[in-house]
Order: sequence, then C-alpha cells, then structure tokens
Amino acid sequence: MFDSFKNNGRIEGIAKVTGKAKYSAEYYLPNMAYGVIVGSTIPSGSITNINSDNAKQVPGVIDILSYWNKPKVANFDDPEKLKDIPAFHKYFHTTKVNFNDQPVALVLAETLEDATYAATLLKIDYQIEDFDVNFKDSLKDITLKPKDERGSYDAWQNTDYISENEYSIAMEVHNPMEMHATIAHWTGEKTLTLHDKSQSVNGVQRNLSNFFGLPEDNFKVNSEFVGGGFGSGLRTWFNTIAASLGAKHIDRPVKVVLTRPQMFTMVGYRPISWQKVKIGANNNGELLGILHEAVHNKSENDIYERDITGITKKVYAFENVKRLVGYSPLNLPIPTWMRGPGDSSGTFAVESAIDELCYKMNTDPVNIRLKNIAPFEMATGKPWSTHYLSECLERGAKEIGWKNRPKQPKQLKNGDWYTGYGLAVGLWNASRKNAGASIEMKPNGDIIVRTAMTDIGTGTGEAMVNMAHEFLSIPRQKISIELGSSLFPESPSQGGSWGLSSLSGAVDAACRALKLKIAYHVFGKDETKNANDIVFSEKGIKLNSRESSFIEYKSIFENNDLEKIYVEEYSGPGEKSKEYAFCSSAAHFYKVNVNIVTGQVKIDRMVVVVDGGKIINPQAAANQIIGAGVGGVGMALREKQEVDLASGRLIGNDFAGYHVPVNADVPIIEVSFINKPDYNRNPAGAKGLGEVGLLGSAPAITNAIYNAIGKRFTNLPITPDMIIS
Amino acid sequence: MKPFELLKAESIDAALKSANATNSYISGGTNLVDLMKKQIDQPDGLIDLSHTLSNNIENTNNGVYLGAMTTNTAIAEHKTIKKDFPLISKAILAGASPQIRNMATAGGNLLQRTRCPYFYDTVMPCNKRKPNSGCGALNGHQRMAAIIGYSNSCVAVHPSDFCIALIALDADVDIVTQNGLQKTIAFQEFHRLPENNPVKDNNLPANAIITGIIIPNNKFGDSVSYVKIRERDSYAFALVSVAAALEIKNGKIKEARLASGGVAHKPWRWHQAENFLKDKEATQENFIKTADLIASHTKPLQHNTFKVSLLKGAIETALMECLTNSKRS
Repeated sequence: MFDSFKNNGRIEGIAKVTGKAKYSAEYYLPNMAYGVIVGSTIPSGSITNINSDNAKQVPGVIDILSYWNKPKVANFDDPEKLKDIPAFHKYFHTTKVNFNDQPVALVLAETLEDATYAATLLKIDYQIEDFDVNFKDSLKDITLKPKDERGSYDAWQNTDYISENEYSIAMEVHNPMEMHATIAHWTGEKTLTLHDKSQSVNGVQRNLSNFFGLPEDNFKVNSEFVGGGFGSGLRTWFNTIAASLGAKHIDRPVKVVLTRPQMFTMVGYRPISWQKVKIGANNNGELLGILHEAVHNKSENDIYERDITGITKKVYAFENVKRLVGYSPLNLPIPTWMRGPGDSSGTFAVESAIDELCYKMNTDPVNIRLKNIAPFEMATGKPWSTHYLSECLERGAKEIGWKNRPKQPKQLKNGDWYTGYGLAVGLWNASRKNAGASIEMKPNGDIIVRTAMTDIGTGTGEAMVNMAHEFLSIPRQKISIELGSSLFPESPSQGGSWGLSSLSGAVDAACRALKLKIAYHVFGKDETKNANDIVFSEKGIKLNSRESSFIEYKSIFENNDLEKIYVEEYSGPGEKSKEYAFCSSAAHFYKVNVNIVTGQVKIDRMVVVVDGGKIINPQAAANQIIGAGVGGVGMALREKQEVDLASGRLIGNDFAGYHVPVNADVPIIEVSFINKPDYNRNPAGAKGLGEVGLLGSAPAITNAIYNAIGKRFTNLPITPDMIIS
Repeated sequence: MKPFELLKAESIDAALKSANATNSYISGGTNLVDLMKKQIDQPDGLIDLSHTLSNNIENTNNGVYLGAMTTNTAIAEHKTIKKDFPLISKAILAGASPQIRNMATAGGNLLQRTRCPYFYDTVMPCNKRKPNSGCGALNGHQRMAAIIGYSNSCVAVHPSDFCIALIALDADVDIVTQNGLQKTIAFQEFHRLPENNPVKDNNLPANAIITGIIIPNNKFGDSVSYVKIRERDSYAFALVSVAAALEIKNGKIKEARLASGGVAHKPWRWHQAENFLKDKEATQENFIKTADLIASHTKPLQHNTFKVSLLKGAIETALMECLTNSKRS
C-alpha cells in the first residue's frame, strides 16, 4: 500500500507558489478596519490610565479599545464562568500586568499604517510592582514534586558507572514564517466568522464559545492555509480575542496581524529549562536506574506546565526510575508547546548522560542503546504494536560509517579543526485521536474530501489524496481536498504528531461509507454489506463478486436523480489501542567539525533514520524530518532568547538577533524511513513523525562535539565562546 | 511608523538645499527604515539620494573609486574589486544577506547605526538613542558590546563588515558639505568613539552627503583575509571580526594591516600589532604573539571577556589565512 507514491509534490503546491493560496491575513472584507495591539512596557504592576488624545489625532483612527471601554461580554457577569476563561483571554478585563508586552490596548483605524502609528502615541501610566524574571536564581526556591516512580533509587547507587550532570536549555521562540493573524466579522449580535491562523479551527471555536457564552456553531473559523506553526498555533491567542472584541465594538470587520516583535511575546515559546540527570549502569552495559529532575519557567497566571522528565519512563528499560519536577512562575510571556514539547528538552539530558556513560564504560553508544531499548511500554506493561528503533540504529550506523569513527575524543584533526561523530535517539507517542472526514462525489465521479483539520505545512492534503486514492482506487486527478474550516467534519488540532494518524481512520471510514452508499443506490440494500467488494475506477463502479456489474457514475446519479452523494464519518483509536502501546522513533547520526581557535561548529553530515510506520507521502515526510533537523541545530547551536534582568524585557525581538539556523548552518540532511506499516494504529499503517525528527537531534550534535574535542556541553545553545573557553 | 514626506532629489544641490534638522537622507534604506519602524528615528521627511549620486566603480591612478550609491553586491562582485581588493569583497560577502546586499549602498554602509539591543528597544535606557537615559548594556547583556574604546555612557559597537576592510586598506571618504564644499576625510577619522556624546557616530558634518569612497592601491595581492566570528554562519552580526592583509617579501612581513569589527564604537585598527609584525617572519608563532599583544590592549566588560579569546582566535586564523590565500593564487 502507498508504495507507488513517490514524487507527486503537493496538491496545494501550485496555489502556494503562485500566491493564489490565501493565508488568514490575506483576505479583504468590505468596510474592514485594522487593529494593532499595544503591549505593556512593564513586567509587573497595573495600568492606571491610558491617554489616547494624541493617538486619536491621527487621521483614520476609529477608536482605542482597552480595559476602560471594552464591549460587554455577557459571560463575564457570571463569576463561575469567568473562572473557566484563561487569563490570556482577559487582558481587556483586568488592569493587572504580569509581563512585558502583555496586550493592554487595541488601536482600530481605517488603515494598517494609521493604526500602527497611532499605537506609538498612546500614553500609558503604570503602577510598577516588584518582578522576577531570573530563572536561574528562582531555582533555589522551587520545590520539586515527585512523579510516579519505579523500583528503588537506593538500589543502584553503588553500581559500577554513574553519570550525573545538570543541564539547561535557553528559551526558544517558534517564529513560524506566517505571523499570527485574525480577521473577525460579526453577523448580527451572535454569529462570528473568522479567518484565523491556527493549528485547530475547532479549538478556536470552542474557546470563543467559552469566551462569549454562545454556542460553538455560532463561530465559523477558517484556517485553510497555515504558514507554519510548531505549536504556536495550538492555543487561541489574544489576537483572536482582540479582533473579535474590536469587531464587536465598532460593528465592522476587523483585521489584527501580529508584528514580528509581537511573535516573540504573544504566541508562546519553549520555556527555559533546568534539569539534573543521574544514570547508573553496570559492567554488562545494563542501564539500571535513572534520577531525572526538571524545572521550566511558566508565566504568572498561566497554566502551561509540561513534564520534561516524561521521556525517562519510555525509551529505555530502566528498572528504577525516580522523577521530580517543578515550575518557576516568572514575569515572562506565556510559554506553550513547541515541537517535541517537554520530551525534546528531556531527551537532550538523557541522551547526553548515556553518551557520557559510554565513554566511561568504553562501550559503543549504538550497542548500549540496542541492549537497553524498552522491550514493551514500561509504564503500562503493554506490548509495543510496532517499534523499529533497533533497525533505525543499525541502518544509521551503517550509513554514517559508525564503525570507523574515532572511539575516543580528539582523534581526527586537520589544522585547528577536529572531527567527531555522535548519535542520539528520539521517541514519541504515536497517538491517534477522534477525527472526522466527509466526501462529496459529483456526477462525473470527482470527489472532494474535507476535514476541519488544518495543514500547517506538513502535507496533509497530499496525504489525504494518497489515502483516498488508495482506499477508493479513484484516479488522483479526480480527488480534491478542502481543509481547515470549522464547517467541515470536526477534527483534532494538527499537533502532537497525531494529525495524519487520526485522519487516516476518518478518511478510511468515509471511503467505506461512500462505497456502501453508492452501491446501495446501484444494487440495493442486500448486496452492499461488504465494502471491500466494491471497486471504483475512473468512470464508474463494479462489484468484484459479480461479473458485468460495471456501471458509470453518471448513470448512478441520473438513475437516482442525485446531484451529489455526501458521506461524513468519524473514527477514533478503537479496541487495538487498549491492547498495544504505540511509538514512533528516530536515530540521529551526525558528523561535526569543530574549530578550537574560532569556536565555529560546522555540521558535516546529518543522517536520520525514522520509524514512522507506513509512509503515506514520502516527500512531505522527509520534508518534516529535515525541518525538525534544522530545529535541532537551532536548539543545539543557535537559538537563545535572552532576558534583560534590569527591565524584564526580552533582549531583541527580530530575526537579526534571534538566530534561527540558515542554509549555511545545515548540511543536506540524509533522511530515510523504515516504512513498515502499523495497522493496529490506523488503516493506513502510518505513525506520526512530526516530533521524532527533533527529538535526539540536539544531543546528537553535542555528543558529536564531545567526540571531536572532548568537551561535554550541558548548556544549550553552544556558542563559539563556549567552544574555546 | 510616523508619516513622512518623500522628496526625490534630482541633484546633489537640490538635496543639500532641502536638508534640515527634521528630515533625513535615504539611499538603500536597509537600516533607516528599520529605525523608523521602531521609532528610533522619526524624520518628518526623507530625501531620496538615489538619483543624485554615482553608482560607478572607477579605476583611478592611485586606486579605485566607489560611487556612494554603488550597492554592496555590485562592489563585492566587481572584477577589479575581486582581483585587486579581494579583502573588500570578502568583508562585504560576510555581511547581511543577498537581499540586503542588493539594496544596501556604499555610502549608507558607513552610516549604519549600532545593533546594540538596548538601542533598538525604545523602552530600555540608551544614551545613544536618548541622551542621559543611561546605558542598559553597561551592566546588562554585553555579547554585542565593546571591549575597547568605550565610555561609561556607551559600550555599543559599529556593526559594519565593509568598513573594517575599508579602514584596513586606508580608504578615504569624499563628502560634500551643506554649503557645497567638497572634502575628503581619511577613513580612520570618519567614525568616532562615544566619549560623552554617543548620539554622534561619526564626524560627518550636519547635512553633509557622502559622495564616494577611494581605496588606494596596495601590494597585498591575495594575501588577505576576513574572519568573522558570529552566532550563525550567515546573516548575523559579528561577535568579533578581523580584516588582515600582509605584504610578504622573502618570508618576511614588509607591511601588515589588522582591523576589527564588533570590538569598538568605530572600526578599529590595531596599529601596534601592525608595527610588531613589520619585518618579522610570517610564522604562526609570530601570529600568536600578535594576537596576545592585541588582547593585552583590550579592556573587556564584565560579561564579555570571552570576546577577547574569540578575537585572539580570529586574529591568528586571519593571519594564517593570509598565507594560505596567497599560496592559492
């Protein structure tokens, strides 16, 4: 199945490269006004006054929305309901400021230029209060809380080999290409239509329903094309709330697009983290026990907490696991899920510690992993449905020439440059959620497959074409796809590597329903219980079990007086998920060159072998792994959002100062897939692979740097000064 | 952005006549437009110089002349520059991105402002942006701050790569003052140290226009190098950079040039190190001594002592590269 699909590109590709594909900010509605969000300039305190006299002098300014004049939201009269609304939706319902650049006002004007200029003229008075933005200093006050344990911590303290280190990772900002944007348009008092950059149109629908106290169906949310997300689009941020309130306030459609600087403060980031990992192993190379402690920062008033130590339970067969986690509330913007949330941070520490053990034990880092991979899901005792991490390791080792690597650091030298090899693995739950899809067939046999799920750039549309073609045998050119509207069948967010896995069940169910429905129209009720018996082709259908049963689509529609045939189905994980545990995994083998005089690190090769089940869309799958690899380079060597301790503001807020890796930083990433199906997971046999390309990427780099120069880096990112110090 | 009027000047004279304290000249705009968007510079008017100044590169008797309107890309890719002034080409190509280099001009490059993060955030203190508001970097984030020539009022550095090559090659800057006087300023005198007046980056008289840059001929051939240490391999400003050029005869250094970016408020020449290298053997040992000498002259801030180590590595690497580059040709 799916093996015939190699290089079909993307169904939406031409629309994207010709500019015909419209992103959320690119719609124009008659009488539309433009809104610009104004952020606070203090990290903590309260707003005492907003003077908008000068701002209102700017021609074209319509009004300035803030705490003092926001439209009434019925829901907010009920204190019980108010509690259910997240703090970051209530910025216009409080004068309290918890972080720098917290939204405090929305300037509404006839043009973007007017609104942007007027926004600079607001005079805002604050009552400033004490604040805390120092993550490092805050650690001493954090009480760590135990998570579920396994075995005994004392059992392995006297073992032959121990690695014990502290690790830290800097704040990382998602910064997708497309800025978050909303166009909000009320019809009457109760119906709101939105173009909103989001990874979940149904999530936006639910959040707005909760905010305005109106039924979900009153909110129509479109996010047909999304220019990247990496997790920043999983929440409904304030741009959506502000545009909706603004549109209500002036009774006109309102567009709000965040600026690039606001992308650093208003739509989440990967929090700053600290970890301590202690691992013990015996002479036989068995990993006996692990202690994993972790803290990440959160924002005052927000709920985002992620267990960084979770990965410790899953990858290896530790008999003894002790985990402690804590969270440090600071006056910083709100963090959120960012690709491989929690686990990518945890994986850095664990994979670094195992690498260190290998050098202490003089053991091959491939072998120690092969020996210790958890044979079943340790936390539940369930067998893995499919798990090919060993194959990933063996293939990766072969491709990079692992057996010829220097076994000790500082062996390969050319002038000031040292060469080293490193590896690390990543693992992620291959989950599946409830998802819906519909199919509409036209009299000529063309079909449109629809779902509310968005495509954040992962190639969802093309994968759906492949699935519909595979399940129905209808030629690809007769299949079109429509995504990202809340009017389409409800689906989960596109995130967590569950998108395609969830959709494949829904598309399969819709395809079966279509077969049965058409066969019913043709053959009557009795003969149509077995969908597998029904074969579609370009022109019509037939039953496998009956000779000369072919009938053209056109005839079916004419005979039954139909204009279209429509089916809609929903599908979830099902019974198999009770029996089995599911995971995707990857092995990263990297080769780096390190200059000990200038501190430069050049990555020479990145070999990534991935178990993502059956690969539905080879190009897009490889594309995801490549993008994740670039993210790994960012985490290991480049990306670092710093905080000014005196003002509590972020240092810089643009691409010149925040170093997302560029082409010059990354070699051609060599990606391959195990490509074996897991039909317990879903009908396509696919397992999600959005995260595993990142998990393990950063430690593969630091492990390779150790092999090159004999320095173990435990704080990311590694900048040139750290190499030469 | 504050609304402004755009005047397309037809001649230098017309531009000079229009200039006043509330407006600003614009050429490529690759820095000025950013500054306007961030409310750091808020002119009432812009005087577009693109039709008034030369964008030619001309060979002269003593060297090469770059019209002020020549783009970075045009200079870096020009035959004469690549052949006779390869240091210029290397330095330009180490900076910005192709898109920015296509827009940025020679004259504008000299006038770009610091990239100190405190200068760019109008909420933070910065004496360069707002006199007497303090210096946020003095006790704050100092990765992009100076290690020499700074004052208590400002620790910002000049961000250009091109200018580091220009100062190393003893360039001159042609200007015309507002009353029409044509003058030449030695490149070394063009930029200034912050002292107590960090608002002023350079010694260009008010409302004067840079018309061109003259780079004198040299005998360095391909024995030049530009080493830039940064936090990303393209499109990042220098932590430290080094422009090096050596004239070597019979294994001995007849003349050396060493300049650095990312270290001071102005492009910085290491004259003592150049003198040290004169008549010495071109050996790694001597290059390491040179790097140590330079390091001994620096005075890093509390949080950027690492820049001295990086500088030493960059000096040594650049000098070694001069040797390998000359052998290659």
